[in-house]
Amino acid sequence: MSSRIGAAVLGIAIATAVAAPFLAPHAPGDHADRLLNAPPTVPHLRDDSGAWHAPFIYPWQLVNQLEQRYEQDRSKRVPLAWLSNGRLVASSDDAQAPLMLLGADSFGRDVFSRVLFGARLSLGLAAVAALGAMLLGSAIGAAAGYIGGVWDDVLMRTTDFVMVLPAIYVALALRAVLPLVLPPRTLFAMLAGIFAVVGAPFIARGVRAIVRFERRLDYASAAEALGASDARLLTRHLLPATRGFVVVQITLLVPAFIVAEATLSYVGLGFPDPIASWGTMLHDASSNLRVFADFPWLLSPAVAMFLVVFSLNLVLQQAGAPVVYNERS
Amino acid sequence: MLTAAAACRSGQSSASKTAALTNIVVRSGGSLIASIRTEPGSFNRYVHRDAGADLVSILTHAKLVRINKATQLVEPWLADSWSASEDGRAFTLKLHPGVTFSDGQPLTADDVVFSFQAVYALGPEGPLGDALQVEGRRLEVAAVDASTVSIVFPVTYAPGVRILDNLPIYPKHRLEAALRAGKIHDAWGLSTPPSELAGLGPFVLADYVPGQRLVFDRNPRYFRKAADGTALPYLDRMTVEITPDPNTELLRLEAGQIDAMTIEVAPESYAAVKRAADAGKVKLADLGVGYNADTLWFNLKPGAFAGDPRAAWLQRDELRKAISLAVDRKIFADTVFLGAAEPVYGPETPANKQWYWGRPTAHDPAAARQLLASIGLTDRNGDGMLEDAGGRPARFTLLTQKGRPNLERSVAVIRDELKKIGVTVDVVTLEGLALIERFARTRQYEAVYFTVSKTDTDPAVNLDFWASYGGAHIWNFAQKTPATEWERRIDELIVRQIAAPDPAERKRLYDQIQEIFADHLPMVYFAAPRIFVASSVRMINVTPALLRPQLLWAPEAVAVVH
Amino acid sequence: MSRYIVRRLAFAALLVIVVSSASMILARLAPGDYVDLSLPPEASAEAKAQARARLGLDRSIGAQYLEWLGAAIRLDFGRSFLYDRPVRELIPGRAANTAVLALTALAVATLVGLPLGVVSGSRRGPLSGTIRFISLVLLSMPPLLTSLFLVFVAARTGWFPIGGIGESVLDRLHHLVVPAMAIGLPLAAVLERLQAQAMGEVIGAPFVLAALARGVTRSRVVWHSALKPSLRHVAAVYGLIVGSLLSGSFVVEVITAWPGLGSLMLDALRARDIYLVTGCAGTGALFLACGTLFSDLALGVVDPRASERVQEAA
Repeated sequence: MSSRIGAAVLGIAIATAVAAPFLAPHAPGDHADRLLNAPPTVPHLRDDSGAWHAPFIYPWQLVNQLEQRYEQDRSKRVPLAWLSNGRLVASSDDAQAPLMLLGADSFGRDVFSRVLFGARLSLGLAAVAALGAMLLGSAIGAAAGYIGGVWDDVLMRTTDFVMVLPAIYVALALRAVLPLVLPPRTLFAMLAGIFAVVGAPFIARGVRAIVRFERRLDYASAAEALGASDARLLTRHLLPATRGFVVVQITLLVPAFIVAEATLSYVGLGFPDPIASWGTMLHDASSNLRVFADFPWLLSPAVAMFLVVFSLNLVLQQAGAPVVYNERS
Repeated sequence: MLTAAAACRSGQSSASKTAALTNIVVRSGGSLIASIRTEPGSFNRYVHRDAGADLVSILTHAKLVRINKATQLVEPWLADSWSASEDGRAFTLKLHPGVTFSDGQPLTADDVVFSFQAVYALGPEGPLGDALQVEGRRLEVAAVDASTVSIVFPVTYAPGVRILDNLPIYPKHRLEAALRAGKIHDAWGLSTPPSELAGLGPFVLADYVPGQRLVFDRNPRYFRKAADGTALPYLDRMTVEITPDPNTELLRLEAGQIDAMTIEVAPESYAAVKRAADAGKVKLADLGVGYNADTLWFNLKPGAFAGDPRAAWLQRDELRKAISLAVDRKIFADTVFLGAAEPVYGPETPANKQWYWGRPTAHDPAAARQLLASIGLTDRNGDGMLEDAGGRPARFTLLTQKGRPNLERSVAVIRDELKKIGVTVDVVTLEGLALIERFARTRQYEAVYFTVSKTDTDPAVNLDFWASYGGAHIWNFAQKTPATEWERRIDELIVRQIAAPDPAERKRLYDQIQEIFADHLPMVYFAAPRIFVASSVRMINVTPALLRPQLLWAPEAVAVVH
Repeated sequence: MSRYIVRRLAFAALLVIVVSSASMILARLAPGDYVDLSLPPEASAEAKAQARARLGLDRSIGAQYLEWLGAAIRLDFGRSFLYDRPVRELIPGRAANTAVLALTALAVATLVGLPLGVVSGSRRGPLSGTIRFISLVLLSMPPLLTSLFLVFVAARTGWFPIGGIGESVLDRLHHLVVPAMAIGLPLAAVLERLQAQAMGEVIGAPFVLAALARGVTRSRVVWHSALKPSLRHVAAVYGLIVGSLLSGSFVVEVITAWPGLGSLMLDALRARDIYLVTGCAGTGALFLACGTLFSDLALGVVDPRASERVQEAA
């Protein structure tokens, strides 16, 4: 049941990411110069006198620029415009009173739209990288655990090496040899590759331990005795035993990858402004002390990330003990 | 005979005058906690120039003269008085009598000579070497007697003794051996025990805990006294905490764990500090616009874009002037500095009252388009963006440093404003040293937006920036011969400006230089931020200055309430 | 057994050497060098050349590497450019600080995360669900945000000092709380999730059902019979966690002003302080190697059937 909820949430997340250009009121680069760090514009149905209207918003007026304080102008009702300009909904007066469901960031850009567009990049990158890490890590771990001996040592020490090497320098070196302006697709592929390599060691270690353990169990020896080939043994018996571990690792890697994209952008390997990504949005939010007290909406990507991680975990990981065990007690 | 005007002043420092005016009773005693972001590289200011080493030098050493950072006037310090020769090249300085180092040894003219020797021995690499040379030539320093020093400049140099504010006087008896062994570079590193350091400043280093803090105690042998005769410094102890993260630093300030920051408050943090100030927890001061603004420049090295079809317009004056017209400086100031900035159009800001010459450029996108059309960039296919004669889009790459919010916001504004007139800007943010390598070494860039700051308000000290052969002439540095006619004219004018004895003549010449600069605009300036500084409420008797460290440039006068 | 340990120690030494060498070479290859930082961009070409010559940065990478290797054998790891002292002096103090922080965080994470994982993995229902929810919240928060938030809370409540390391032992413990929580809580969540998964798998095994059928009480089954085999998964990655902890703590160290190895390495990386980077990377490799050795030994203890001892005997 919970895995169905998880699947539903994930499905909605993916669908909104795909449909971002339609669902988002603004493009990721649109900015309102007078509304830096402005609070969210909440749609209302009733005005102050109690009368009902079609959904509308009150515009924000700048009171003090340096302190970034705003006041709502409750005398002006700005109705929402539906299905205009290829967008589901927007403000009818976008220049003066844009619809910002999650407020604005320090450039005056709509956080809600950027979260939607950022989902494409962050989720896409994390998914591809996690898949890559899973495949690479499982392959390395299975080989190490199955073959054992010298190969085991070599593979494990190689993963140790990858783990300890300052990845920042590799990134810097890459940055230096690549052309200054990188097409986003190349960048995406490169980042996915880097993350897959960096994430593989964790998976490799666990898979190796499990494969090594399972290998010596009776059922594995029996299968071997019956003439099962190495490949069959691995794919039919041993690797499925790693499933539980691997899926948990994926739940752990996904948020790490989303954040790592922001870290890599420090050495210039990130996606350039104004392309939105959750990692960079959170990084920008964290650079300002006031975020917790005054601009909490800037932390929406963290909430979005939590929702994704949570539903991913619901889908992939069983909820507690298996049913059989529970029934017994 | 010229005498320095400041020599007529008495020993009273301006800081204690402020105290007299405001009727705050300034008492001795107490301690203060300051904070810096990174550790000093060493205790040797002759070798390291970072903020930490500079602060250590301000606290523990003294100079022959001091430039009052608030008034920009020269004050006598270790040198009580001085006189100049007829041609203005030779100065004779008399040292204040009875001054001893913190370890008891008396100060003599030999120490001054030694300090110069040590600085010059470090060669071109030494951070102070350039500052103490004029047109690349050294000063001749000699001891006339135990308390008199003679300094001869290679050419007539109008700023004169002002240059001596750069040199903390080091003890010969402590460092002579190192200099003779050629090891002045390794002297006074961070592992030196505090007892081996000796200086003439208000404080002495008492303790250093790596990665955490430096502790300074009052120097009982400090030579300066307050106007009423009280021994300076007022403080018994100054602790300098190392706090790498700016957010943590501000939180500590608000909680009263830090008394003074050595850096200004960033505009995005202003509101939080203002709230704390309104609640009476901290003091916040608006010092007005600062001396420096970030700037945009193009790679103007001849031949830098050989083979690139954009060479026809990428290095043209018209492009930069169009950029200056196209960017709305009000939007710039509002977005980047939250409105707390003034528009600027050249390397000087209104803060430099003595030397500022400004020619405001109105925001005029139409005029910008016309200028671009005059160099062949027009909208040839009706898509709203400009193309050259060959149909190639008007597009260039702008580099800046990642991790500095002001710079990143600035280039975003520039990119958006230029898009409105049809020019596409590809912004690439690079890591700090990677960026510096590109424009300072390999010169592989099209345009850069970065900070190029001045150290002194007097333009003569910034010769390297104005002269075409200077290293700080950042758009095309170290030229063998001037690449353009206007750079040649500036070369001539700056040399005359340095030597001219009459201040009005110097101003006139410098105005001319700034005008030529504005005509050709090798660097485009947009807005200079106002400087905000914050301190705890216990800190008094502080005269804030615009340059860092804003609150601690006169540490002997700082006091705390009791 | 002792042959195994000797082999692992040899590999550890090899890892340290390889990582250090790679770091040195990569640091030289990275764009820009220390002189670009220490001298302002407008310094003259001779000044920069002189500085480079003094620091040895004008030599080829190969020559510099060989010289460093020769000195390293004599345990001289070069001199830091940034701090103007031998690397050998700088690292131990900082490494000790990071070790204290990491081990405390690890202790917190293990003592909190593992038992909670056992609990949530061995039953269904609201308790299991709540633990899972809290873990996922902690997991999905980026470390930057977690540390910033904890420092913010510390400042607002005044219960804990805002950054720094403190002076006396007691004061140091007081300062340790915020950074240890910043690292330990998300780590506890990781361990909890891993353990819950492993526990859930073991609980379904036939031997557990058999024990229950025999009348063993439920809690005894969980905490005695099922626990040990379920620790396998966590034991496998424990070493990696320890190793990555020690170099990956730099975010927390910077924000809480905890002077550790992570923030030292970050400063060194930014400044292209080649010898210091190499020293830090080597130390990190050493920690990782010890961590994985410990983890593999723990794995052997936890599941004797799969231990090396068995393999060697066979």
